Amino acid sequence: MSNVLQLKNVSKSFGEAKIIKNLNLDIKKNERHAIIGPNGAGKSTLFHLISGHYKLTSGKIKLNNKEINDLEPHEINRKGLARSFQVTNIFPKMSVYENIRCGILWSMGFKYSIIRLVNGDKELNNKTNSLLEEINLKHCAHIPAGLLSYADQRALEIGITIAGGADTLMLDEPTAGMSNSETERAVNLIKKISEKRTLVVVEHDMGVVFDLADRISVLVYGEIIATDTPKKIRENKAVQEAYLGTEDH
Amino acid sequence: MANLFKSFSTWIIIGVIAAILPLIFDSSFALTLLSKMGVLIIFTVAYNMLLGQGGMLSFGHAIYFGLAGYASIHIMNGIGAETLPYFPTVLFPLIGAVVGLFFGSLVGYVSTRRAGTAFAMISLGFCEMVTAMTLIFVLFFNGEDGIQTDRMVGPEPFGISFGPQIEIYYLILFWCVITVALMYIITKTPFGRMSNAVRENPERAAFIGYSVRRVRWQAFALSSMFAGAAGSLHALNYEHIGFESVSVIQSGAVLFMAFIGGAGHFLGPIVGAIGLTYLDSTLADYTEAWLLYLGLTFSGIVMFAPGGLAGLIVMHGPIARTDKKLLTSLVKPYLLAIGSVVTGLIGLIGIIEMLYFRSLISKGEGEVIIFWTEFNANGITSWLIFIGLILGGIFLSKKTFPMAKESWDHAISVVKTEISHE
Repeated sequence: MSNVLQLKNVSKSFGEAKIIKNLNLDIKKNERHAIIGPNGAGKSTLFHLISGHYKLTSGKIKLNNKEINDLEPHEINRKGLARSFQVTNIFPKMSVYENIRCGILWSMGFKYSIIRLVNGDKELNNKTNSLLEEINLKHCAHIPAGLLSYADQRALEIGITIAGGADTLMLDEPTAGMSNSETERAVNLIKKISEKRTLVVVEHDMGVVFDLADRISVLVYGEIIATDTPKKIRENKAVQEAYLGTEDH
Repeated sequence: MANLFKSFSTWIIIGVIAAILPLIFDSSFALTLLSKMGVLIIFTVAYNMLLGQGGMLSFGHAIYFGLAGYASIHIMNGIGAETLPYFPTVLFPLIGAVVGLFFGSLVGYVSTRRAGTAFAMISLGFCEMVTAMTLIFVLFFNGEDGIQTDRMVGPEPFGISFGPQIEIYYLILFWCVITVALMYIITKTPFGRMSNAVRENPERAAFIGYSVRRVRWQAFALSSMFAGAAGSLHALNYEHIGFESVSVIQSGAVLFMAFIGGAGHFLGPIVGAIGLTYLDSTLADYTEAWLLYLGLTFSGIVMFAPGGLAGLIVMHGPIARTDKKLLTSLVKPYLLAIGSVVTGLIGLIGIIEMLYFRSLISKGEGEVIIFWTEFNANGITSWLIFIGLILGGIFLSKKTFPMAKESWDHAISVVKTEISHE
């Protein structure tokens, strides 16, 4: 299998503090890859680096064999990588419908047009509706997104993330702060949307991680100490000591 | 197509009403006022492409309005002196639009690199710079005097010379309808939607494939283009342009109009432009303190109704859609609350007017006319009356405001349960 995402000797420092240290990581095509690690390990920083939100201090990141480490977030997005955020990141005053529709615009080639009308485009609106059905938010399509419940806002965020048709999805703690039933719903949604796509997910809920992931990488203090299948990660001594073990105490 | 017609029918009706207005109000004062309103509607709606649609607070948008005005007057003078080829007066706003677009693209390229406070500061800086230039480069701007023109140049197709004010009014109306319709349509385009998205959440907008800077820059350039068209009409209307048209004062005025009218809604700036232009022309005759009241109104809107007048109306939309009776149940508490505020305001206005009067004419007769009634600014009675009104207003507000809020909360809770039951 080919690698969709390749990180080579990636480092990131904020002043003196080295947050990511010479990190190497390969994400295979169509796998569901979870990144776990204790608080402050650098998981979110890693996401910000890959998506172009932060610039690398050194190293290289390749998406589909093309270097992306010097690109702006919107350029990386156009190359087929989409992400969600740890803190819900939607367009709160716009309707749920508009949130999704905006997510689709670029992929359908609308660009910055001032001569096409968004309401008049059948394909765009059909796509919006079917995506709303997929994330189960059709019933509240015309409510301002900021008024949705927390779980629904998270679902909407996932909807915006997949709207542009990216092949590689990165979800940052998609189930954080959810109740058990909400988490179950979210996991089912993530499973559904990540079929035939590559998924990289940061998650704290180990139940979710072992349920979802094909492979798991363990990030501790800016370094990946292991990458393997869930079963082998569970058995890995170093991982147990560094991370999983602490939860058993 | 039917939908498109339906959404335009409102505009057509408004346009027709505007077209017959001069027949009803045929004084020259009314005509001058209506012309001014038309120009400022274009300018304010254009400004709101930045403020309301794009979330960019500019303190210097008069640059594009004013520079387009200067360019138009120079070209008109050139045509008059036959140093420039003839260009139809009807199409002059296009000249302004080109000038606005040019300078807007130029300055916008620099200023839209930053957002928020930095953007606002840069806009202020450019505005001060251009204002200073009008006083320095006398050859082009002619300093504080500004430049004059005669708009009756060239041939007169269909006998229209654009000499009489009524002809200029219809020219302004024509362009007002076209530009406002265009700006409305732009809100419905991919660019317009993404402009809102960038306002709401620039970070998210970048991660759905859009360059935030490009969206902002485009909004800035387009907004400047329409402001330029307004500037051309402004110059034609007065046959004069002066340095104040590019200044912070003009920039502030357009900000006031957009904000008080309601930046969050497309119609808000239009309401603001009409309302403030009217008050500016009429109240100024009644009171010297008009700018003080404008400032107080602005502060009040910023603090208590950040959505502006349009925002106040729009926030009742969900209630009206859920149940009309719910809306009528709000009328009584609202009227009581408004009544108490008005009582207090009458008192405040009385005090301000008497203070103002006394600071101007400190001796002699103390007769001052406030609300069509004569008061003696030197007598204790008038002061007591107005202070009493203020205190009464405060007292009544304390009773009526909680009532109004309670009714509002009740109405909104009904709406919320309705939504969750759907």
